[in-house]
Amino acid sequence: MGVTCVCQVPVAEGKSVQQTVDMLHKKLEQLGAVKQGNFWVDCETYHATANATGQQSKQLYVMHNSEAPLSCMALFEGGPFLTADANFDVLMVKLKSHFQNAKSHKVESRGARYRYCDFLVKVGTIAMSSSAKGISVEVEYCACVIPGDCLNLIKEFMQSFLGSNAPEMPSNKAEGQLYTPVDCVDPMSQYLELFGKVRKQQVLPSSGVR
Amino acid sequence: MEAPPVTVMPVTGGAINMMEYLLQGSVLDQSLESLLHRLRGLCDDMEPESFADHELVYLLRGQQGNPFILRARRSLLKPTSPWHLRYLGQPEVGDKSRHALVRNCVDVAASHSLPDFLNEMGFRMDHEFAAKGHLFRKGQMKIVVSKLSRVHVPGNLENTEPLSLSYLVELSVLAPAGQDTVSEDMKSFAEQLKPLVHLEKIDPKRLM
Repeated sequence: MGVTCVCQVPVAEGKSVQQTVDMLHKKLEQLGAVKQGNFWVDCETYHATANATGQQSKQLYVMHNSEAPLSCMALFEGGPFLTADANFDVLMVKLKSHFQNAKSHKVESRGARYRYCDFLVKVGTIAMSSSAKGISVEVEYCACVIPGDCLNLIKEFMQSFLGSNAPEMPSNKAEGQLYTPVDCVDPMSQYLELFGKVRKQQVLPSSGVR
Repeated sequence: MEAPPVTVMPVTGGAINMMEYLLQGSVLDQSLESLLHRLRGLCDDMEPESFADHELVYLLRGQQGNPFILRARRSLLKPTSPWHLRYLGQPEVGDKSRHALVRNCVDVAASHSLPDFLNEMGFRMDHEFAAKGHLFRKGQMKIVVSKLSRVHVPGNLENTEPLSLSYLVELSVLAPAGQDTVSEDMKSFAEQLKPLVHLEKIDPKRLM
């Protein structure tokens, strides 16, 4: 795995989510990218039920990524994370009296996966309760694991097909983290931040998966 | 860089209903060699696997009911291996003639951030211990002969003290729910270990 950058792309003026996604696919194909299957990333939210000490209810996020189909990543926002195997979901079912699954908060991004030389581009439709809320674009530069060495390259590549929608440097990169190798949690925490923003946004006027 | 297979549902493979069938016994230190010799003869593989593990038991106390128990185990011999997190349910009450203790079991492999993560979830470590010994296999049966040691200083495994003058012997099988022939096979294997060790069904509730 390489350095990843995840961003949200706004829906084009006067177009639907699907039409904007199709436009992005066309641009990638014109660039010379080849479609290589599909991908999905999802995020479930669990609320800790109030415990004896009356602490504030914490939110636990359990995420899955099709790039690592046998794994499961569990995160606390801004807190520790855990990489575990798929049985972690079964364990969360056993813990249901302590951690409740907020089913209506489940967010997922599904779409096509394109390969362009050393880049993997995944354009996904972000959906909550089967209604499309936005578009995510993930670009992974597979040849490097140090963010500081290739973020500018990734940004330039993103500008070539996203134009002005290309993001600035990822916000969750503190100075010290720029030169440490990335791990599998890095893209997941970017997706988590993105899904959090999407949850807070208004419902799109043309919602509904097409 | 081929896309990994994408399925609609995450992979679970029926793991939700795995049951652990268990028989336990013990042997005094001086009888260990005879037991190992007998097990080498009865079991698969040329030499048994040796292990040295550190297990931490975490409790999550809710507002009511019994605390939720999780066991986190790591290898001291292979420090880069993932942690093994285990949930064991209440023993199944049922057929008194069933030969082994049966309980629901969920095993999860986890990364090294497990202790911090469990603390963040609200779990608190109740106790820890070190286990050293040998692991034998016969078909789907696993026989573990281990020496349990008390850890004096939390996290410091240099200084441990054996809990007793015996080795704990456990015969277990992990199988999907509903396979009752498993306990029959376990009973006949246990017969072959008599009189060196008497493996029996020990109900944990009776010990409390």
